[in-house]
Amino acid sequence: MPSEFVKIISPAKKSKRLRKSVKHSSYRLFFMALPFLILAFLFSYLPLYGWIYAFYDYSPALGISQSPYVGFKWFTTMVSNEMQRAEVIRVLRNTFGMNILGLMTSVFPVIFALFLVEIKSTWYKKMVQILTTLPNFISWVLVYAFVFMLFSTQSGFVNQVLMNVGWISEPINYLASDSYIWIKMTLLGLWKGLGWGAILYIAAIAGIDQELYEAAKVDGAGRFRLMRHVTVPGLIPTFFVLLLLSIAGFISAGFEQFYVFQNAINANDIEVLDLYVYNIGIANSSFSYSTAVSILKSLVSVVLLFIANRLSKMIRGETII
Amino acid sequence: MFTKRKKWAFVMCVCSTVLALSACTGNGNGGNTTSGTSSVTDVSSAEQLPELTINVLSQLTSYAGPQEGWFAKVVKDKFNIKLNIQSSTGEVVASRMASGDLGDLVVWGNNSKEYTDAIKGGLLLDWNKDGLLERFGNHMKENAGQAIEANRKQFGDGKHVYGIGHSVGSGEGSSESNKLTFGPSIRWDLYEKLGSPKITKMEDYLPLLKQMQELEPKSDSGRKTYGFSLWSEWDGNSMNLGNIGAYYGYINGDGFNPSDMILTSVTEQKYQGLIDDSSYYMKGLAFYYKANQMGLLDPDSVTQKFGDVSSKLKDGQFFFTPFTWMDDTYNTPNHLSAGKGLMPVPFSEEKAVTFGYTPYGGERVWSIGAKAKEPARIMMFLDWLYSPEGIMTVNNGPKGLAWDIKDGKAYVTDYGWGAFPSNETPVPEEYGGGSFNSGMSKINNTTISSMMINPETGEPYNREMWSSSLGHNPNQVELSWRDAMGVSTQKEYYTNNNMVAITKQTFTGEAPIQLPTDIQQKQNEVGKVIKEYSWKMVIAKNDTEFNKLKQQMMEKAKGLGYDEVVAWQMEQTKKTVWAHNP
Repeated sequence: MPSEFVKIISPAKKSKRLRKSVKHSSYRLFFMALPFLILAFLFSYLPLYGWIYAFYDYSPALGISQSPYVGFKWFTTMVSNEMQRAEVIRVLRNTFGMNILGLMTSVFPVIFALFLVEIKSTWYKKMVQILTTLPNFISWVLVYAFVFMLFSTQSGFVNQVLMNVGWISEPINYLASDSYIWIKMTLLGLWKGLGWGAILYIAAIAGIDQELYEAAKVDGAGRFRLMRHVTVPGLIPTFFVLLLLSIAGFISAGFEQFYVFQNAINANDIEVLDLYVYNIGIANSSFSYSTAVSILKSLVSVVLLFIANRLSKMIRGETII
Repeated sequence: MFTKRKKWAFVMCVCSTVLALSACTGNGNGGNTTSGTSSVTDVSSAEQLPELTINVLSQLTSYAGPQEGWFAKVVKDKFNIKLNIQSSTGEVVASRMASGDLGDLVVWGNNSKEYTDAIKGGLLLDWNKDGLLERFGNHMKENAGQAIEANRKQFGDGKHVYGIGHSVGSGEGSSESNKLTFGPSIRWDLYEKLGSPKITKMEDYLPLLKQMQELEPKSDSGRKTYGFSLWSEWDGNSMNLGNIGAYYGYINGDGFNPSDMILTSVTEQKYQGLIDDSSYYMKGLAFYYKANQMGLLDPDSVTQKFGDVSSKLKDGQFFFTPFTWMDDTYNTPNHLSAGKGLMPVPFSEEKAVTFGYTPYGGERVWSIGAKAKEPARIMMFLDWLYSPEGIMTVNNGPKGLAWDIKDGKAYVTDYGWGAFPSNETPVPEEYGGGSFNSGMSKINNTTISSMMINPETGEPYNREMWSSSLGHNPNQVELSWRDAMGVSTQKEYYTNNNMVAITKQTFTGEAPIQLPTDIQQKQNEVGKVIKEYSWKMVIAKNDTEFNKLKQQMMEKAKGLGYDEVVAWQMEQTKKTVWAHNP
């Protein structure tokens, strides 16, 4: 019986007061978290309602209520025949390929930060940092305009120089070429994000206990030994956390970049999942099909996150979720 | 411009009609109309009508922003209306549809799925509501009555009218003016220098262009010249410029239903699958491939946009245009006076597609949004576009500037000869300022075919057909072209030599069939593959690579459902277009 239960567990006033204060503070915590819960609900859970479009033949003019319900038609379409599967696999391959390259280059900001803090001249250090951080604030559309200026065949700087030097006789169209497109895109991404990515590492280095350096110096460590035995181990936790975060988000990475750089020649290798959804769905009004494909994307993301988490536990003994 | 008396009469007309309308709409149309009328009751000029800004959503323009220049001035003076133009590619229309408000004036690029969906979704205004068409559509009823009827039957269950088609007209033969749409045009001066060799088939242009390139290796600004400069911006489900069927009497689709994957003959009941081995599309790809092998194709073709191509053409960086209207970009007064110009030079096997007249109106539809504020005034503006005055203005600019009337006939003024067809000639401030080109109507849709007769002058609306224009001094390039071809216009030459294929109109009394969504999804996938491989084939390194890519394209397209899409589209063509044009 509930009343007996209350009697049994609440005989003492002291414990009652304690419970009250615990209750009070937990309410306070709850209310403090509430705005963020609401935000998370609004921006992360409410949009899931949009998945409903994948089960209809949606037409914007008619709205969901008048569009016919088609069940799992669009999901089966995605895997309906060999070629269609090959298309989905192709865009997944592109997504994974370029993102894995991106992950592999994520050590560069670490190395960059390592060497940057070693520079003694303050103004030079600041200048390098500013110049490398600036590209992060340029939009990909502008980056494309800049790259086009460099590489276009008729007036591009690179072609002009190479032709003047006499190394080539005909201009080369670097942009309309599918060779090494993953690497080109990765390098561009690296150029754009290097300085920005290094900021966190520089902060992490600043947080390393100076006594460790002094102790190592007393033990006779030189500059490179300090880096190897003090700085690098100090950076590893930061590096892993950032790596895991980027793995979790990598399937959604870089639509804008690939959108501005795509053309008929490189489309096969540059089309990532998000771009495919755009090209097939949004640009041609197959909204339901593209919703179905983007649900696939969410599933892949979740799977990836769990794999990354598992790996993290295996390697470092810590998980992030 | 119009006289004071006319202006007064017009204002009275506007006042009374707006009043009448508000009286019968009652509460239904809410505050807009009422607030409009209360200030209209005692106005004495058009400027005192409350200013109205209408949002024009046009699928036919890439311009976005307020209409400027002379056209803006005419509309402001006449209706006290400002046009705010919103360009719209696919996504824009979809999101506007989802929001439930398409804007005030809506211009559709075609009358298929999006238009019919908008009607079904209740997003377009029924012109019969409150007798709008009855009251304000007199010019439309008079000049495009059949087009209104057609719309009523096709899209309004015989009861409602949701829009009106473009380029309405009737008559035999081609509805295009002296210059047809399809060329090809090449550099006439160079062609003459090379001894005007006879051109029998498409491929004969290649060696000729090569010689031109050798003759003129540098453009005006010193850049390398090419035979062709292409652009991918207009690609839909295939490489737009790859289809050379238009020179052989074939069009992409069937001219009525959405049918991107077939080419049909406009004169006979024949069709080709887009990527059939011997289709004109594949021939086109082979043609440009050969051109590229010969160093005649601008290597920027894949990456550049139409704007880039235009500026290259102006500079003389290439010698061949697929469309005759592009010629004007190069044929500037400067080039012409130097004896240089692009002119149509056909090959003798050619049968150029040209559009016939259609009293039912073309597929580009004018309509009014269901949530339009003051639909009566929008209707009046639209009706004016279908009136002789409106057609003359849109085509030729404001009266008194580039053209005028003398002894009842229209003539082009000296200013006009410098400003037409769309030059950057400055416009005097009293006519709206800016340049003639920038002041042109940015809505970019037509109403009545410009070849129809203007009842006020007894001559066509098209300035090229005015008796006063025909006698006007042509330039040196034009003269030598006329001399060599033995005719005075391209249309004459093509018609005399039986080189035109005129499209027939299709009117079944029903709306064009819509692609079912699964066929559409397949078409999107197939189209993407075709587009991608077409460009790759054009710039292939050698025959082996070309054939390999062709093989891959076929395999992929077929694997993604190409055959199914073609079969479905052919069935519709047989059921509708061919059944009605036996």
